[in-house]
Amino acid sequence: MSERIDRLVRTWIASEQDQEVQDAASEISQGRAALLDLVKALGEYLTSEEDDLRTKGVEFLSRVLARCSPEKLNRQAVRVLVSFYCGKLEDTETIVPALKGLVTLTKLPAFTSPDAIEVVQALFAHVKMKVLVQSQRFTVFSIIDNLVARHREVLKGLGDDFIRGYISLAEGEKDPRNLLLAFAIDRVLLIEFDVQKHIEDMFNIIFCYFPITFRPPPNDPYGITTEDLKAALRACLHATPAFGPMAIPLFLDKLTAGSPTTKKDTLETLDVCLPVYGPAIARENARKLWNCLKLEIFQPTDNATQDKALKTTQILIQTIYSASEAERSDNAEIEGLAKDACEECMQILREPEKSQAQHAIKVLCAFMSTTPSVARFTLARAVPHLVKLFLDPDELPNRAPTLRLLADLIESARKSTEDDSEVLQEDGNVPLSPYKDEVLGVLTVGLKTPASALPAIDGLKSMVLTAGLLTNEELGFVVHNVNEILQKDEDESEITDAVLDLLSTVASFAPGHVSSNTLPLLFTSLPDCAPAREEEAKRIRYWRTLAYLKKLCTQPDLFETLVVRLSTKLDLLCVPSPSDDNTSNADLEPSAAYAHSILKTIADVLSAKIDLGNKDVMKYIDRLVPRLYNLFIYSALLAEERPMVATDARLLGVAAQIITLITQTLTAGRQETFVKAVFAAYLDGRVPQLADGIQKIPAEKAFAPLQVGSPTAQKNLVVLFASAIIALHKEVSLPVPDEAVFLNNLLNWTVDHAENALQRDAVVHIISAILNRHAEKLENFSSEDVTQFWASQVADTAVPTDSRRNAIATLTWIGKALLVRSHPSAIVVVDRLFELFDDDSVSWDAARAIGRIPGPDKVLTKRNHAVIKILYAQKYCNAVLPRIIEGAKMSVSTRQSAFLVALAALIKSVPKSTYVQQMSSLMPLLLRGLDLPDNEIRASVIDTLQATAASSSKDKDNSLLAEHASSLVSTMLKNSLVSNMPSVRVRVSALRFLATLPDVVRYDVLHPQKATVIRELGKALDDPKKAVRKEAVEARTNWFKFTG
Amino acid sequence: MSSEIFNPNPTIFASSKSKKPAHAYAKPHSLWLDDGEHTEDEEYDQSDEPESIDQDEIFELIRSISDPEHRSMTLEQLAVVSAPQITFDPKHPDRLTVEFTPTVPHCGMSTFIGLSIRVRLLRSLPQRFKVDIRVKPGSHQSEHALNKQLNDKERVAAALENPALLEVLEQCLSTAHVDHEH
Repeated sequence: MSERIDRLVRTWIASEQDQEVQDAASEISQGRAALLDLVKALGEYLTSEEDDLRTKGVEFLSRVLARCSPEKLNRQAVRVLVSFYCGKLEDTETIVPALKGLVTLTKLPAFTSPDAIEVVQALFAHVKMKVLVQSQRFTVFSIIDNLVARHREVLKGLGDDFIRGYISLAEGEKDPRNLLLAFAIDRVLLIEFDVQKHIEDMFNIIFCYFPITFRPPPNDPYGITTEDLKAALRACLHATPAFGPMAIPLFLDKLTAGSPTTKKDTLETLDVCLPVYGPAIARENARKLWNCLKLEIFQPTDNATQDKALKTTQILIQTIYSASEAERSDNAEIEGLAKDACEECMQILREPEKSQAQHAIKVLCAFMSTTPSVARFTLARAVPHLVKLFLDPDELPNRAPTLRLLADLIESARKSTEDDSEVLQEDGNVPLSPYKDEVLGVLTVGLKTPASALPAIDGLKSMVLTAGLLTNEELGFVVHNVNEILQKDEDESEITDAVLDLLSTVASFAPGHVSSNTLPLLFTSLPDCAPAREEEAKRIRYWRTLAYLKKLCTQPDLFETLVVRLSTKLDLLCVPSPSDDNTSNADLEPSAAYAHSILKTIADVLSAKIDLGNKDVMKYIDRLVPRLYNLFIYSALLAEERPMVATDARLLGVAAQIITLITQTLTAGRQETFVKAVFAAYLDGRVPQLADGIQKIPAEKAFAPLQVGSPTAQKNLVVLFASAIIALHKEVSLPVPDEAVFLNNLLNWTVDHAENALQRDAVVHIISAILNRHAEKLENFSSEDVTQFWASQVADTAVPTDSRRNAIATLTWIGKALLVRSHPSAIVVVDRLFELFDDDSVSWDAARAIGRIPGPDKVLTKRNHAVIKILYAQKYCNAVLPRIIEGAKMSVSTRQSAFLVALAALIKSVPKSTYVQQMSSLMPLLLRGLDLPDNEIRASVIDTLQATAASSSKDKDNSLLAEHASSLVSTMLKNSLVSNMPSVRVRVSALRFLATLPDVVRYDVLHPQKATVIRELGKALDDPKKAVRKEAVEARTNWFKFTG
Repeated sequence: MSSEIFNPNPTIFASSKSKKPAHAYAKPHSLWLDDGEHTEDEEYDQSDEPESIDQDEIFELIRSISDPEHRSMTLEQLAVVSAPQITFDPKHPDRLTVEFTPTVPHCGMSTFIGLSIRVRLLRSLPQRFKVDIRVKPGSHQSEHALNKQLNDKERVAAALENPALLEVLEQCLSTAHVDHEH
């Protein structure tokens, strides 16, 4: 048996192949040989006179050992090996392999504490770190790390010897990998060992690395980052309070002399160290630290450093004062740094309009979140001062900056109480409480002047949001005061936005004040009749009021009031009572526009409520939807006799939006009942189930919008038919005997009866929505009926071109319905569209349709409960893009441009990720697309290029843009000058692209273009349109800045 | 650049904010509230009416240049520049004067501020414009010399040859931007 070991040893000494190590280890693991057999076999080498053989002998042993399973190494074997290896540390030829062996041994369960002492002492006696290379020193640190982890107590017993020995080993280490280990060991020693006597040495071997300036080399295989090292070092810096006296001067030094990076690092380090070093050290150095911090706060190099300095100041104050916080009585005077710093700031705050005041208030704001008594002290100084300043007649011009400072302070006070919310603030226990009357006083005065209104509103908002500060009456007082601003008939500004924001904040927890106070004011200011055509000011006023209502009324109670008031107004506007029906040929458009604005307001609030997840939306299926149907059906029926307001298509559009939004929120069960009522009305003329409202629908008139020969006003109501259907859950089945037949009838209706795009679109949306939900039971429709439709309406060149275009649009929606649910028939639609590329009269329409099929729309959406499979757009692009690329390359020029049109439309409608892989083959085609005589196409191509450019950066491989740089530049320049390009949109896009180029393409690539670009953009600066000039300025500035 | 601080604690003024115009609700002359569904194409291209460069547009260009002494603040915040201080020559629509007000009469940065305004306008106004840059009368102790220096083409060009000066200039100009309304 040992012969085999012998043989392996001899072979390895000659060959040094890993195989022998492996084999020897498995011999031992499988029990065919003992470790001692190996030692015996190695005997002659281990004691050889030849240095090289001795090294190899120990090396082989250590390698095999590393592969052996731990349980094969019993106590006795470990004991022998420890002595053996420790002996080998003395020999310079064997020290390196011996260290490797010790790493393995020190991890073994059979390695005991006496072994640990022996190893440590041998290491200290024989290892000279300076002569070892990085990996060998790493081994030494690993051994110590193992020992400290497993045999900590016995090492502690060694006392000073261990600490001293370790320090001499660790001193002067420079390699980041080794340092990570050393820092970990350092931290354990500092926390668990008695290092008092050696604290200075420990300080020296640790603080010499601060601040870390290490930058990892590019492609560093070890992946050690600056952050890793910083974090490991920082953990040592604050491991013991004993460092305090030595560390603070060092930090102060770095703060005064360091680079911005060092400063930031030092500030962050102080943040973790100060609390550990403790109040005594902090107090002792308070002045010196504050003097340094002050410099960073009042003469900041940048905002980030200033923020960090403020944070450190906060921690310094916390450290000094929080220890004594418990025994401090409320009235005890604050002494020391908090007082001094506060006084300094107060001095500066005497000139609230100056730039230094803005820094001073930041310090005081930082104090708010230190300790309760410091916060109370600060408020007691600052608030009365600012209030007094505000009321001082000499300081009248400085009211706005004074209130800004006050508002900042109130907000910080609020935040500080928010932080420790477990202590619920009793009324009167809020830090600001003692001053609330005077503060409310100056803030409400500040509201009255436009210059100071904004900070006043901010201050009020912070007060309103401070838990336990204001009483209910005081809230009412605030609401009352800000209402006055809304009533002023001025131009809107940020002030009104801020007021609305404040009122919505109040409404979110105390809606009563807003509903009883603000809303009546707003409703009263809405006129009952529409202002006449020329009364623009009045029109703007009602728009403004509606915009206010829209902002305020998402809260459920307020929304209910809004719906009641606005729907009443709507009825009045659309169906005026006969008494004030003064003329029959009155101008109805202003009323229609007003009604439209009212409906739009409701729709917008509904949409906002749905975003917020409000549950009360669904009840409006009973409260609002029947009223809307009633109004519009009534108006359509009456329209046969006289003009009616509510027959306007734009009104129908918004009403449809409202119905869809509400339908979205219903359960499948409720939708089922609703859709039955809708179908009863639309297919059978049974209106009463659906419509209910003030206007009495005349029984003698028939409602039959889908019937042959129905009047336009009725037919237009298919819009409200579609609005109910497009948001149905897929579980809801339609109340018709056969859905396929129903859809085919609708399809034919779009051809035979639809009079306008409005009607056609609505019905096509219905087809698309239903097909999307129920495709599996509509195979008949999607194969036969659609094929028939294709043959008779699109493929047949005898059909008028306009009709063919409409039919292509219909097919697009059928394709969409199938595509989003990844139905295989979607691609059949696309195949057919490709067939049209040879047909000049519709080839571009077909091409655009191919691009639009995967695009986003408002019908087939998740919110509308459409059946949508993930990655459908990706799959579509995978199938269609190669065909487009191929086609654009191969075919003749007319066909080619159709492919380019398809490409431009496609990339506009799909996410970038779906085509980014193919960008290199797309680029030449996109450049050709920029020559097509169609501005819409050019604009969307430029937008795509822009998106590609914006998402790349200079560091990454940007060869694609670089490769085409010169043609991109010249094409974009052409498209950016009014002399060549009439479309503002294209010029703007082209200029934006030119502005981005210098950020994403290297200077050496673009350099040859620079002079031309700057010269040509000089012309764009004189563009007749302001919007274009803005972009030209931006672009030209970027190119000026662009240097190597 | 000298390290002397001329005005360590300047007064800050609120920036003027653009007011929401009436057409925030509707297109001009329309009775109908915008429903937010129009495309970008409709947003532009509404009319071919040329919009000429006016006082506000020029102010937009220079208001956000940083103050060389207080980099975190703009010339507008320190009331060094303002829209009314930009005036067009009534006889020559291509001639304009941009006046600025140093925060203190001994301000040694005034030349630099004037230069930064000069460079910004050189880069962003069409060539046909002739711009006169001057300090507000009575606001600076060496007003005459300053005005002369700022409008002397050769001295401006010479100043721009100085790489150190150019670097600070670019930094101050880097904050200059044109607000996008959309």
